[in-house]
Amino acid sequence: MISIKKISKEFREGIRGKRVKALEDLDLEITKGEVFGFLGPNGAGKSTAIKILLNLIYPDKGNASIMDKDVADKEVRRYVGYLPENPYFYDYLTAEELLWFGGKTSGLNKQKLHERSEFLLNKVNLYHAKKRPLRTYSKGMVQRAGLALALVHDPEVVILDEPMSGLDPIGRKMVGDLILELKSQGKTVFFSSHILTDIERFCDRVGIIIDGRLRLVDNLTHILSDGGNLEDVFLREVKTAGGGIET
Amino acid sequence: MRTLWPIAFITFKEGVRNRAIYGISIFALLLLGANLLISNMFMQEVGKVAVDMALSTVSFAGLLLVLFVGINLMAKDLDKRTIYMVLSRPISRPQYIVGKFFGMVVLLLVTLLFLSTFAIISIQLVKMSAPTYFARFSWSLVFLSLFFATIGLVLLTAQSFLFSSFTSTSFITLVLTVVSYIIGQSLSDVKTLIENSQIVGIKISPVTVKVIQVAYYVFPNLSLFDIKTQAAHGLSLSVSYIFWIVLYGFIYTCLAIAFAALVFRKKEFP
Repeated sequence: MISIKKISKEFREGIRGKRVKALEDLDLEITKGEVFGFLGPNGAGKSTAIKILLNLIYPDKGNASIMDKDVADKEVRRYVGYLPENPYFYDYLTAEELLWFGGKTSGLNKQKLHERSEFLLNKVNLYHAKKRPLRTYSKGMVQRAGLALALVHDPEVVILDEPMSGLDPIGRKMVGDLILELKSQGKTVFFSSHILTDIERFCDRVGIIIDGRLRLVDNLTHILSDGGNLEDVFLREVKTAGGGIET
Repeated sequence: MRTLWPIAFITFKEGVRNRAIYGISIFALLLLGANLLISNMFMQEVGKVAVDMALSTVSFAGLLLVLFVGINLMAKDLDKRTIYMVLSRPISRPQYIVGKFFGMVVLLLVTLLFLSTFAIISIQLVKMSAPTYFARFSWSLVFLSLFFATIGLVLLTAQSFLFSSFTSTSFITLVLTVVSYIIGQSLSDVKTLIENSQIVGIKISPVTVKVIQVAYYVFPNLSLFDIKTQAAHGLSLSVSYIFWIVLYGFIYTCLAIAFAALVFRKKEFP
């Protein structure tokens, strides 16, 4: 379903254009119907990998595909829903107009768009505020509007970058329930987080990325089979990678 | 077109709800209201003053709109990363540029149409109060002047899109657009001056002459779209002249947007 093959990416930073490695030989396969948790410390390369999948940045080496189509093909994104980290939308648009835009650009007809829009606005508890400009929304409300936008076209693949960030416990539960619902519908969910309990609750498989390199990919049940927890595994991997975190 | 329309629509909605557009419009309406007072203060050429002031107000308000609303509409997408929401849909980067440009053009047209209506009313009111000063007056020249001003502003918008496709901040785009506007308004005069420098008795190096000649073809000549003086004095223009100016504006606009789309194709959004 999602395939990342030998992807490397460097960025240039500062006036001198110093090269900074963001990803190195990233290899990852995610199968249909899987909920995959992408775990890593800040700046590990999680968002970079996600942005390559969305064609927002281009890899220096390697290639990525979704549903057997190269991510450079814009038609791929008809089947992909994406929630960026700390999303920011147009100030003067309403949530209703935001979903209209998402549905229209994904080719939904008028009736389907209306149905999905009403359903999702209720689902993320924004129906009462659907005609309010987004600039009047709280951070959590913007996050929920972003989630509705990601799902408006009923995508096969859902990519969520830190979906719980900025949400209160009720919002987090709502997002969690949505991920489980997507899983029950057979959708593929790829989400990044550094909240380990979220990963433990929702994921079938976990990938740990540190300094742009994938250190571990395994089934969650296998990782936790020896009675340990994800936090121990994560900290061990960071330490092995030379992260220097005291345990 | 199915993809461009939603982008153009949200761009227009975002722009038309921006408070800056109301500020600019109110400022323009006050100036048009003042036109009635100011024109009548002149003891002669009342018609010319009224027409010139009404047309200048519309052009100036349009310029402010391009500089402070248009540039922000594009730059904010990049600064605040709103562009993620657009490019994560089945939309290519060139489609984004063209859709955004269409949205801005519609916003510009609606605003200019609104202001032009008031400009025409203000001219009509002055005309009614001092009809003797409107002997050579022609409504068709006023409409043509407003049409030309619109083409010039659409071209300037396209240029601002080109600049924002390769700059990193809205401030740099603003500076480049203002500089390009000033160059576009004065380059024709400067070229004429340096090419006839011996007549006016000044010495200019051949390199400067070459630079100005190259710049003349790189930067669009925005002064061509300013026919306020002709409109104020009732000086008619030939049909072929009008045709070439419209074609000139259209070609430059298309080229600027095509280059912006080309640059944008390579752009990354980390």
